[in-house]
Amino acid sequence: MQRLSTIKSYPLLPFSLPMPIETPNQCMTAQDARVLLSEGLGCQVESDLPAQFQVGDRVKAKVMHPRAYTRLPRYIRGKVGEVIKDHGVYVFPDTMGQRLSTKPQHVYSVRFSAQELWGIDASPKDSLYIDLFDDHLESP
Amino acid sequence: MNGPHDLGGMHGMGPIPIEENEPVFHSEWEAKVFAMSFATFINYFPVDETRHASEQMPPGDYLSSSYYERWLYALELLLSKHSLVTPAEIEARITEFRNQN
Repeated sequence: MQRLSTIKSYPLLPFSLPMPIETPNQCMTAQDARVLLSEGLGCQVESDLPAQFQVGDRVKAKVMHPRAYTRLPRYIRGKVGEVIKDHGVYVFPDTMGQRLSTKPQHVYSVRFSAQELWGIDASPKDSLYIDLFDDHLESP
Repeated sequence: MNGPHDLGGMHGMGPIPIEENEPVFHSEWEAKVFAMSFATFINYFPVDETRHASEQMPPGDYLSSSYYERWLYALELLLSKHSLVTPAEIEARITEFRNQN
């Protein structure tokens, strides 16, 4: 294997780490690994947090270009779609990715028409469904 | 982060190779990287932090790396960033292995 990268410097901006590293100091057994791999880790949160949007709402993906982590793809920023389903409340990846906070919120399946995303040359029959969080969306 | 991972809508990346009977790992080092990363990530890092780590690979390296090369980058970056292992320790171990062979 070619060794591509030895890490000598960090490209990240300085940021605080309010979520400390926890060190369980427990070895993972092969059986633990099997269970984790087959079942995964749940990120859903039991919560009665109100949803910002309802099924059927038109929503716009925010235009934003954070230098840190986000799960909001570039090609839908500023595009308008429709909320098709409310998946419930989940921890927010954009803050989790920076170890900032869990910031639980609703996640929706949002449908964008292919023509909204790619223009008039795209098929009028095609749509894309993307799971997005409250913090990714605003009213158009 | 507008990094190289966010490929939606890009042209010119070529066809996606589809392997028949694709193996889980293409060589032994991939299995080792997976095992080391999985055990470490589960114990210390939320999955999004590990994704964010691999996205910080320099774009040219990211696009020309394989899947498990990116995992290895993320593992080294997170272990070093959180001072669990120093880059010098990683380098020393690589040198040690190299001298054994």
